[in-house]
Amino acid sequence: MATAPSIAAAAAAERQRRLALRDLLNAKYQWIDRTWDAVFWITAIFVVAGAADITRLLFAGDWDFWTDWKDPQWWPVVTAFATIIIPSALQYIQWAAWRFPTGATYTCVCLFMASWIGRYFQWHVAESYPMNFIWPISTIPAAIILDWLLMRTKSFVLTSLFGGGIWAVMVWSFNYIPLAPFLQPMQFMHHILTVADVQGIVYIRTQTPEYMRHIERGALRSFLGETQYVSLLFGGTLAMLGYWIGQFIGRYLAVWPIGRYIKTV
Amino acid sequence: MSSTEEVAAGCAPTGWLVGWKTLFVSCGLLMACNVFLWVWDYNYAFTAGLDSSSRAFALHYRTLFWGELLSVGAFAGLWYGWLVRTGRSLLNESVTPAEEVRRVVILWGIIGVTSLSIYIEASFWPNWDGAWHQTMVRDTALTPTHIPMFYFFFPMSVVLALGAYLYGRFRLPAVYGREKGFPWSFFLLIAAAVLEFVEVAFNEWGHSLWMSEEFFSVPFHWPFVIYGWLASGMFAVWGETILYLFQIEKKARAVEELPTHTAAAG
Repeated sequence: MATAPSIAAAAAAERQRRLALRDLLNAKYQWIDRTWDAVFWITAIFVVAGAADITRLLFAGDWDFWTDWKDPQWWPVVTAFATIIIPSALQYIQWAAWRFPTGATYTCVCLFMASWIGRYFQWHVAESYPMNFIWPISTIPAAIILDWLLMRTKSFVLTSLFGGGIWAVMVWSFNYIPLAPFLQPMQFMHHILTVADVQGIVYIRTQTPEYMRHIERGALRSFLGETQYVSLLFGGTLAMLGYWIGQFIGRYLAVWPIGRYIKTV
Repeated sequence: MSSTEEVAAGCAPTGWLVGWKTLFVSCGLLMACNVFLWVWDYNYAFTAGLDSSSRAFALHYRTLFWGELLSVGAFAGLWYGWLVRTGRSLLNESVTPAEEVRRVVILWGIIGVTSLSIYIEASFWPNWDGAWHQTMVRDTALTPTHIPMFYFFFPMSVVLALGAYLYGRFRLPAVYGREKGFPWSFFLLIAAAVLEFVEVAFNEWGHSLWMSEEFFSVPFHWPFVIYGWLASGMFAVWGETILYLFQIEKKARAVEELPTHTAAAG
């Protein structure tokens, strides 16, 4: 149990540290100014967008590319896991360096811009797929909540425990709004399919084999049955795991190496 | 006038058109290359890029492939040669704090363009790669989307990351000098880029052997993701150079205060 003098000493040390930081902040610098902040935040957009997009493309890309792949079973699971990794890493970096609870939102805005540039120029202009078949999901609303959680709890453990589950639900629910029209039932060649399934049949993806074509039978599950709630629960658990993969990246690949050297090569 | 001369003449090294010029010019050049390659693919991918045995493919794509490798190789050779040759003579020179700040600005410029290159190779081109390979049947590893992505922007990122280290190694010895050892930050950044080449080979081998069709989330694509993760080493480069900037400021203040103290003591 901490004694009164030890608490007083800790408080004095904390006060001293704050004063030293304030001196550092208020000191007059010849060359250190806001230009460095601007250059850092703007040039980091590219590497953050690249890292976040490649993680999503290669872990959950197929589910994100097409409306007919946004199924109730796999999409909520793989997307929640893949999209939380880099936001978590940036959340650690920004919190550790500036105490900014903005890392996840910053990452998801970067990812949003990169996704739309990619989908518009590469999928729509170059390959002629209609945008309503290949629109990318947005993770920005989920990221705002994740950052808010970190700001309130000031704890990465609590943010991961509550944030992982919330992330899966938020990513699914906010993107359900643009997806819903494509999940309406329609009759196609004497079968009940969703509009998204029909898009998948009409726009031919020659190089994706038959076993990868997600045409579901006209069952309740096709039109969002209870499967999705189980998927969201599992997706939330995987998002917690993804959050700690991101923490590893932020802590040991971005911050730990600062000023460290391999002495013998 | 070069930024070295401008700083020597009294210009602030952090001026947008002084030290930061490197960032703007290099990003502009890289974007020009990207636009050129995108327009090239947009014009020729469907007309000349579908049959790798055709004359049109050889003319438009095999020449582009060799042109890219030769130009990136030539750029790397010339730039590294210049960095090392001029850098060796700079190692023994004493430099002013303003000049040191200018060098940090230039390093940030090179890191900035590396960041842009990573975005282009990890997001911009993989999007077209996904769209192309899920639609077109591949009959070669050198497909129209692979040629700009794997054989221009992948090697370009390696060249830029290694070039950034060489710049720091000879021009910022207080941070990246030989006696300090090899920095973990650049180790991760360069390892990421080199690992990417191994994965390109593994990817092509995998597509030729057991999965010729495209499933973007297939497990043998996953190692590509590690590149994006290891590129976090870039944040460590930013972190350690920011800390060095504080040291330069401290050193500059000490130099400025020295005559006052000497006069007071006298």
